[in-house]
Amino acid sequence: MKKVFSLVLMLTLAATTVLAGCGSGNNKPSNSNNPGNTAAPAATKAPATEEPEKIEPFTVSLRHIQIGESTKFRKAILDDVVKKTQEEVPGLTFELDGLEDSVNRFTKLPAEMAAGNPPIIFDLFGGTGDALKYAAADRLLDLTPIIEELGLSDKFLNLEQFTLDGKVYGLPIGGNTEGFYYNEVLFEKYGLKEPTTWEELELAAETLKSNGITPFGMGSKGAWIPLMLVNTMIGRYAGPEAIPGFLAGTQTWNAPEIVNVFAKYEEWVKKGYFTKGELGYEYADMMNEFVTGKAGMIFDGSWRSSIFKDPEQAGDLTGKVGFFTMPAVPGGKGDQTFVNGNYSNGYGFSALANENELVAIKAFIKNLYNDEMQLRGLLEDGVLPSIKLSDEAIAKVDDKIVKKVMNILAASGGAFSHYDSAVPSEVYTESELQIQKLIAGKATPQEVADTLQKIQEAASKK
Amino acid sequence: MKQTLRNPAVYALFIIPTLALYCLFFIYPMVTSSYYAFTDWNGLEDYKFIGLKNFVDVFSDPDFRSAIINNLFFILFAVFIQVPMIIIMAILIGGVKRLQGFYKTTVFVPSILSTAVIGILWGFIYHPEIGPLNGFLALFGIDKIYWLADEKWAMPAVLFVNAWQWMGFYIVLVLAAILALPKEMNEAAEIDGASGFQRAIHITVPLIKPIISVVMMLSIAGAMRVVDIVLVMTKGGPVGSTEVMASYLVNRAMGVNPSYGLGTAISLIIFAFALILTALYQMTFGKSEKGDVS
Repeated sequence: MKKVFSLVLMLTLAATTVLAGCGSGNNKPSNSNNPGNTAAPAATKAPATEEPEKIEPFTVSLRHIQIGESTKFRKAILDDVVKKTQEEVPGLTFELDGLEDSVNRFTKLPAEMAAGNPPIIFDLFGGTGDALKYAAADRLLDLTPIIEELGLSDKFLNLEQFTLDGKVYGLPIGGNTEGFYYNEVLFEKYGLKEPTTWEELELAAETLKSNGITPFGMGSKGAWIPLMLVNTMIGRYAGPEAIPGFLAGTQTWNAPEIVNVFAKYEEWVKKGYFTKGELGYEYADMMNEFVTGKAGMIFDGSWRSSIFKDPEQAGDLTGKVGFFTMPAVPGGKGDQTFVNGNYSNGYGFSALANENELVAIKAFIKNLYNDEMQLRGLLEDGVLPSIKLSDEAIAKVDDKIVKKVMNILAASGGAFSHYDSAVPSEVYTESELQIQKLIAGKATPQEVADTLQKIQEAASKK
Repeated sequence: MKQTLRNPAVYALFIIPTLALYCLFFIYPMVTSSYYAFTDWNGLEDYKFIGLKNFVDVFSDPDFRSAIINNLFFILFAVFIQVPMIIIMAILIGGVKRLQGFYKTTVFVPSILSTAVIGILWGFIYHPEIGPLNGFLALFGIDKIYWLADEKWAMPAVLFVNAWQWMGFYIVLVLAAILALPKEMNEAAEIDGASGFQRAIHITVPLIKPIISVVMMLSIAGAMRVVDIVLVMTKGGPVGSTEVMASYLVNRAMGVNPSYGLGTAISLIIFAFALILTALYQMTFGKSEKGDVS
């Protein structure tokens, strides 16, 4: 009897200890009535008891990539949209989660997509490697009915990279093109003019080099940065059709015209046209090198133009930077007036959104994708609009780089996208490895091309 | 009460919750996830059983083989450079009379810093243009060295920082053992005319062998799964020259083109390597040293 009693006593003790442990865990958040908290636990309790209409407070997670100085203009727009949406939707609080672009795109979001717990609203890239892959796996919210209801269906300039089987799964925030930025002061000093032909471009590079200036600032620690240049060179050497051709099977990676791209890249590396030690530098280092006048040119996206009108970031170089598109390549295939053009970065929404969250999503889309915000994006941030704006709105642009970019696009024969949105992601990943090997002299252009073709074939077989 | 303790059920009562938690959080996930190593699971689409393909793929990739070699570098560096340095430093600090606390704290500081901070700190020190290291070398007319961008230098640079980060922790461990030694032996040896070096070699080191053995084993296990410092400083680059097995896993199996099946296979390989190496060590050097002490 005694034995049984002591056993029971022990069991009870053990049980209470375990339960007490659980209990305190549950109670803690509601006890700590901290108003500075992220509003999640506090908001669920406080107002509900007082308000007669019984508005259920709820939070919606929002992942953005506007962190740091260089994206402050874009962040201001997002903040206003968030504020306006919160005012419109009763009970809504956005929980903003800012992350560095490539960390979000290449690390966190893929992991969240696999685990099935992405944020409700998140920064998303279009194309086969991102939006379309997630859409095929039913991770993204079908936005077709929402944009129809908001009357936005026909307003977007290009939804190609977010459209799968006629349904829209993401909305681009803007458009961009990639080209060369150049330091006008240095160009003037060495008697160079804005290159319009390939010879002039290489002459400029040679002149800068012989004067101890790095011709092309580069940060290849993140391989996507040199690949921007490779991408546009593919468009020039192999023609605009080459980019969609990889997937369609009409363009092979080891065709001579693509090998030429890598050969030219290798030639520039060997001539010392890129930053020395580029494999150790990041995206931000590349901008630093350019802004401090150590490099005469960089190849980068038009999304970075707002840096050069901000004295805090561009310093002495404010307003003294020009932009030009890659000149025609002698003997290049296809229409040489095409430019790189992407409507690929924007927002996607979780397929798991509940009714409340859907209301928030709809309001968010309405407030972000409208003429006013798009014009603000264009004027303040230099990002080309993703929806059609009136001519008079566009006439308000006074930033010289943005004007130039718009002229380039207007004069172009058309646009080809970045190949990362047009090839399977394993091919893209391999190209990141290969370009670094090429830069380090560990692979020849032919080897790079052959490896990529092999991966492309294996991917198409799947 | 005495009777209660004789009842095996009571012991079970104490052990079962711990065992259950251990199984729930360690054994069960490990066993179930091992299954994925034999699938092509990418997190998004349906997966299928593909047998040993992941393992074959990994071992036939020259980049992975070079990652294994880089792991071996970490181990060799730990065993032949780091551990001797640790012992020397610990003996030196153990011998000082003044400011011992100051030295102890100073060597320990790096190991309480987060790896991310260390990566940024040393990224600055190694910076080819503005870094103090190249600035210092320039005084002797040495040309700029691209520490983290040059394949020759990246590995030594990372090894050094990794050692810098962890040595302090081990020094404090060894130091504790040294300070716990009875003073009489050293004093007697000193009276007999033994030099400081002789005393260190013939008295201190043999007496602290057990702790050295532990430090050695921890260093080997640590070197097998090292990853954070590599990712923070070089991301495995330039061109794979600092890639270790775990960073290979992060770079290839995660990211924009995730392949969690492959990732699980790699982690099993790392686990197996670490297990074999530590077991080998225990059965050879670890064992004999234990014998010495007893």
